[in-house]
Amino acid sequence: MKLLWAISALLLSCWRANASTAPNIIADPPEVSNQTSAILTCNLTESNLPIKGSLWMHNGKLIESTKTTDSASHTALTLDKITHSSSGKYECVFLTEPEVKKTIEVKTLPHVFAYKHSEHGNEKDKGVMACVSHGYPLPTDWTWFKEVDGIQTPIINGTSDKYEIKSTPNKTTLTVNDLSMENDIGDYVCSGTNELGTNSDKIHLRVRSRLAALWPFLGIVAEVIILVTIIFIYEKRRKPDEVNDGSAPLKSNSTANHKDKNVRQRNSN
Amino acid sequence: MTNHKPKAESRSDEAEGLDGGWGWVLVGALFVSTSLVFGLMRSLGIFFVEFVQYFEESAQAISWISSTGLAAQQFFSPLGAALCNAYDARVVVMTGGFLAGLGLILASQATCLVHLYLTMGVISGLGWGLVFTPMVATVMANFTRRRTLALGLGFSSIGLSSFAFNPLFQFLVETYAWRGALLILGGLSLNIVPCGALIRPRRRSKAPEKVNSGSRSSCAMVLRRVSSYLELPLLFERPYLTYTLAVTLLNVGYFVPYFHLVAHSRQAGFSEYQAAFVMSAAGATDILGRVVSGWFSDLGHFRLLHLLSLWTTLAGVFIMLLPVSSLSGSYVVLVMISLLYGFCSGALTSLVFAVVPMIVGVERMMGALGLLQLIESGAGLLGTPLSGLLRDVTGNYIASFMVAGGFLVLGTLTMATLPHYFSCTDPPAPQRHSHEDKNKSLHPELEQINSSPPDTGHGGRAQ
Repeated sequence: MKLLWAISALLLSCWRANASTAPNIIADPPEVSNQTSAILTCNLTESNLPIKGSLWMHNGKLIESTKTTDSASHTALTLDKITHSSSGKYECVFLTEPEVKKTIEVKTLPHVFAYKHSEHGNEKDKGVMACVSHGYPLPTDWTWFKEVDGIQTPIINGTSDKYEIKSTPNKTTLTVNDLSMENDIGDYVCSGTNELGTNSDKIHLRVRSRLAALWPFLGIVAEVIILVTIIFIYEKRRKPDEVNDGSAPLKSNSTANHKDKNVRQRNSN
Repeated sequence: MTNHKPKAESRSDEAEGLDGGWGWVLVGALFVSTSLVFGLMRSLGIFFVEFVQYFEESAQAISWISSTGLAAQQFFSPLGAALCNAYDARVVVMTGGFLAGLGLILASQATCLVHLYLTMGVISGLGWGLVFTPMVATVMANFTRRRTLALGLGFSSIGLSSFAFNPLFQFLVETYAWRGALLILGGLSLNIVPCGALIRPRRRSKAPEKVNSGSRSSCAMVLRRVSSYLELPLLFERPYLTYTLAVTLLNVGYFVPYFHLVAHSRQAGFSEYQAAFVMSAAGATDILGRVVSGWFSDLGHFRLLHLLSLWTTLAGVFIMLLPVSSLSGSYVVLVMISLLYGFCSGALTSLVFAVVPMIVGVERMMGALGLLQLIESGAGLLGTPLSGLLRDVTGNYIASFMVAGGFLVLGTLTMATLPHYFSCTDPPAPQRHSHEDKNKSLHPELEQINSSPPDTGHGGRAQ
């Protein structure tokens, strides 16, 4: 009996000792989902340790303006407009020995956008379309749709060689193989889903025929050939005259030179 | 003076002093071919984005394509000059144009990066090398009094075509994908062929000089012929070497602003558009400077060499002032100095080539230009990495610009060591010596043209 009392007293004192040295942070609200603005607060209770200051971190990076050295046990951070860039994990940190911190998650819909809204590919070649997402939490599911006349049909990975989908939480790529001009031109929609909802973006794929550039090229080559021909013909027609003019002075120096000299003298006077 | 003029004109396209008529047609040909060589080279950046994505290579590996092309163009310049001396400039330029186009057409079928190096780099570069120097030399041979203006007008195409080609290439890539766009560019490059066809075929006057009469071909004879085509003896002449050294120093600093001005403006705190505008403004005054300097130089009030020194020094000073102006934080000052820098750098471009015949004579101009291009290519390889290194070491561009401007001023000082630098008129052009003296008696007209100063117009008016 006495042993039982002793053990329970020991346990009680241990528990009370723990309770008195374990600080507790009350975070309010514990989580932010789908709100346009919020005020995050942290209250440090049950701690008799000295507080040297407090600060807030966003996704592991310090928010400079929140760093204080006052010993308040209550700190707050205001988020005026919550967008995908301000979502993430916020930590309030109290500078005690040791530090104590608590995380508040700010969640938004995923921000999905395409690298390029207009992609092009060559016939029989492959076309690659990519979408990325920012925000927190990152999408857990990515789906691609092909939009025909307003109806979206999902594209399923692995059913055929035509489509390949590679997805990571923040990026997804759809590769369309063996492009054909009749079937593959159109709008493709990438949509990313996280626990709060879904967002999507649209990409337009254009397929060019392999020979599309050939016609302008042939046109230019034809133009070059025509120009060169014209120049040579023009020269052949002028050549007989030029040969006479050119060779005459060399052969009969006197006459031509006298003629020229007279001209020169008249001009110089 | 009136005595030799009729003889000069009677020899039509072989002599200097035409200054008109067909010469201006050749200026047009120079305009088109230069834009298709250098304007095209400068706008290839648009393709590089596509290459990086398609071939999944680093930007550095892709940028080697244009470096190879430029290096090939400069390396093969003496070859182009030598072939022109040996055969006909017309054939060489037409072949060069064909090769340039062929390189790009083959590049459109490339399946790996090495293909691009070989086609766009080596083949097109060879073609460009066979085109540029012969065209410039031909235009210069066709003008005396208006030589610098002709060159200025011809080179103004580089700036104008860079303006035009950037959106054009973007459109071609969007519409036809890079393969189709390269194919079309190859076709466009083939337009150099008609430009070359416009060069009048040369009469056989140059060939007899080069061959020693009554010689059998042997190793030494062939070597001597080749070295005379390449104008290798020029490398042993002090004035030419001095001038080449000056131009090389100039080239070290010349390209630095092109590469770093935008980044420097951004670092100084200006927005992307402001920085891009500074570059465009410099480009616009560059074009203006080329034409105005060409026109002004031909008025004959000053020696071309003095004008070149003036523009080079001014350009160097303005490059050195560029970081100072942006440090002061004033956007207007930065734009002003960029405008002035652009004007001076364009102005000196027209003159750099025009001075060459003053130093080596019109006869050897072709080979001289080829060798000059080859030697100055080393400077380009040195200048940009050096300025990049300075920037990495010091953290900003002030040191790079200072050094670049310093190199330009150093180039001017080197030019000042040329013989007869401080005289008010040009010295008589050097005559051909060695085995050509024997042949002089066969060509009395040639001797007369060689012995008279090539810029009688300038000399006369300066007096």
